[in-house]
Amino acid sequence: MAGRFHPLVLITVTTGLLLATGCGGASLGTGDDNKQAGPVKIGLLVPQSGTYKALGDDMKQGFELYVRQHGGRLGGREVQIVTADEGETADSGKAAAEKLVKQDRVLAVSGVVSSATVNGVKDLFETSRIPLVGSNASPTTLTGTEYIWRTSYVNDEPGKALGRHVAERAGGPVFLIAAGYQAGKDEIEGFKSTFLPAGGKIAGEEVYTPFPGTKNFQPYLSQIENSGAKAVFCFYAGGAAVDFVKQYRDFGLAGKIPLYAPGFLTEGGVLKGQGDAAEGILTALNYSADLDNAANRQFAPAYRAAHGTDPTTYAMASWDAAQVLDKAIGAAGSAVTPETVNAALSSVGDIDSPRGTWRFNSGGTPIQPWYLREVKLGANTVAGDLGRLGG
Amino acid sequence: MAGWLDGNLVGFVDGIAFGLLLFTIAVGLSLVFGMMDVLNLAHGTLYLGGAYTAYALSDGTLPGLLLALTAGALVGALGGAALTWLTQPLARRGHLDQAVLTLGITFIVADLLAAAFGGEVLPTDPPAALRGTVDLLGHTYPVYRLVFIAVAACLAVLVHLLFERSSLGALVRATVADRDMVRAQGVDIRKVLYGVFALGAALAAVGGVLGAPTLGPGPGVDESVLVLSLVVVVVGGLGSVRGALVGALLIGQVQTLGVALLPQYAPFLLFGTMLAVLVVRPHGLVASAVRT
Repeated sequence: MAGRFHPLVLITVTTGLLLATGCGGASLGTGDDNKQAGPVKIGLLVPQSGTYKALGDDMKQGFELYVRQHGGRLGGREVQIVTADEGETADSGKAAAEKLVKQDRVLAVSGVVSSATVNGVKDLFETSRIPLVGSNASPTTLTGTEYIWRTSYVNDEPGKALGRHVAERAGGPVFLIAAGYQAGKDEIEGFKSTFLPAGGKIAGEEVYTPFPGTKNFQPYLSQIENSGAKAVFCFYAGGAAVDFVKQYRDFGLAGKIPLYAPGFLTEGGVLKGQGDAAEGILTALNYSADLDNAANRQFAPAYRAAHGTDPTTYAMASWDAAQVLDKAIGAAGSAVTPETVNAALSSVGDIDSPRGTWRFNSGGTPIQPWYLREVKLGANTVAGDLGRLGG
Repeated sequence: MAGWLDGNLVGFVDGIAFGLLLFTIAVGLSLVFGMMDVLNLAHGTLYLGGAYTAYALSDGTLPGLLLALTAGALVGALGGAALTWLTQPLARRGHLDQAVLTLGITFIVADLLAAAFGGEVLPTDPPAALRGTVDLLGHTYPVYRLVFIAVAACLAVLVHLLFERSSLGALVRATVADRDMVRAQGVDIRKVLYGVFALGAALAAVGGVLGAPTLGPGPGVDESVLVLSLVVVVVGGLGSVRGALVGALLIGQVQTLGVALLPQYAPFLLFGTMLAVLVVRPHGLVASAVRT
């Protein structure tokens, strides 16, 4: 038996099979396209399977909540939402987007969790001239587009929002650590772009942990402890955020060295996973469920009532995507086509959002307020103002 | 030298903890594949089953942990028995068929678990009595991981004694060496197969219960555990308890000390080590006692 066994072949086959399953199929939809006067069709491109399913659920729930709160209408037109599964990879996302655009002939699309998907579908939306009002992924490299809008923020902005504050508060060198992929590098670069000019000092060298696959953060936590850092800035999301935060506590660093991060570290389901290990973590984000403003009083309690949890920034950005489409479709008047809606999007003006008032900049991303948040008793609470970004 | 030792002490100890966790998980995969010739790519799912059991039953007390361990072992053993039954018809059709079948099972179970428990990593804290840190020659180290080292080391000794020293182990090794001869003695070969598979699977699930505070249950954990187990088995050598232990401890150190000492190569260390071992010793560091 030993002679027949080829370990490398086995590993290759396994890896191949694991990768192949990333390409999940899109859900089926109806294909009628003579709908000029009737309801408008909006595509929702979110993961319904795989690693990002939780984010996809948040986004779907946020979008649907807005539509439900407005009598099933956007811009006075009845809405039919067609959901397609983004899956985990750029390929599965692209296939789902093509189905929405070519087969379902939707008026506009919202959603998209992954930056890889956004990059993969960029040309599709630009050439078919259908607006994509993205509510999450927004890589720094995405520029010069005409049909792609984001109600979230550019990837490096959470880091940018935090840099100056940490430089002023840390009282010593700060250790930088992030998941080793594009988003992690964007956040670290964004952080440094405001941290270093404000006089911040970096402890040792910035560290990128292998992504995915790092489950045991002990080696890095030892490095942090030995570096003499007075604070840590990290970027993690999803399962890695839970592992990192819990082990940060387990190895005795919590309460000793303050932990700063972009908001995803403690946003949504991961916060439940971290339990009391997350207490006191300081994050920067454009939203906190406890914000007190008119739009959030309409949004947060309704979301809590419907889903039993605090709304996340992902749900909020999708609620806003529906709001933006509501305004644009209304403004497009009787001639509602993807192109008139897209034209109207550029002049929707100020949006009254649960995050505070914001508007699109020339790059199609929000000029908006940023908040410092602290985890208290298992919830993110607003702890300060970090100014406006996106201008 | 003393300074070097001091600076890397925590990494070294943690490498042992992580290695012993990998051993508990991977030894079953190694035995079932190496001795019974069944390739089980649902092995990570057995770990996940244990981890979810820990989440469901852990209430922050020691009795809660013991209950979770018992239930986890049971879940694992039942899962192992079910997998034996499912893979039996493919016994003569080679490893590729077994790989496709067992991998298919992992996807189905992963979706079912995600539907039942949601898409997030779930919190599983160790019992209150084992939380907190101790002073390890001037460094902080989690109590739970030290206790884990002790428990997993006991498990390793027990498994070793069972397979290498007991008469039951002798029967298993005899079955591997010459099935017909053992059958001629009136032993039901299938019982041996079911037994080894159930035991290996129970160990993986127990690893899941004990490892949950470190590698919490959530989507994707099954895949990373499977890949780590495969690497351990390939590095250590198939079908021997000692091989699984050597492989697991080596990979544990690579993933802690290695990553700390050579951070710029961290993404490549795991598979680099496997490659290096395969070049020097194609059948792993420890050759199986019965199948060479």
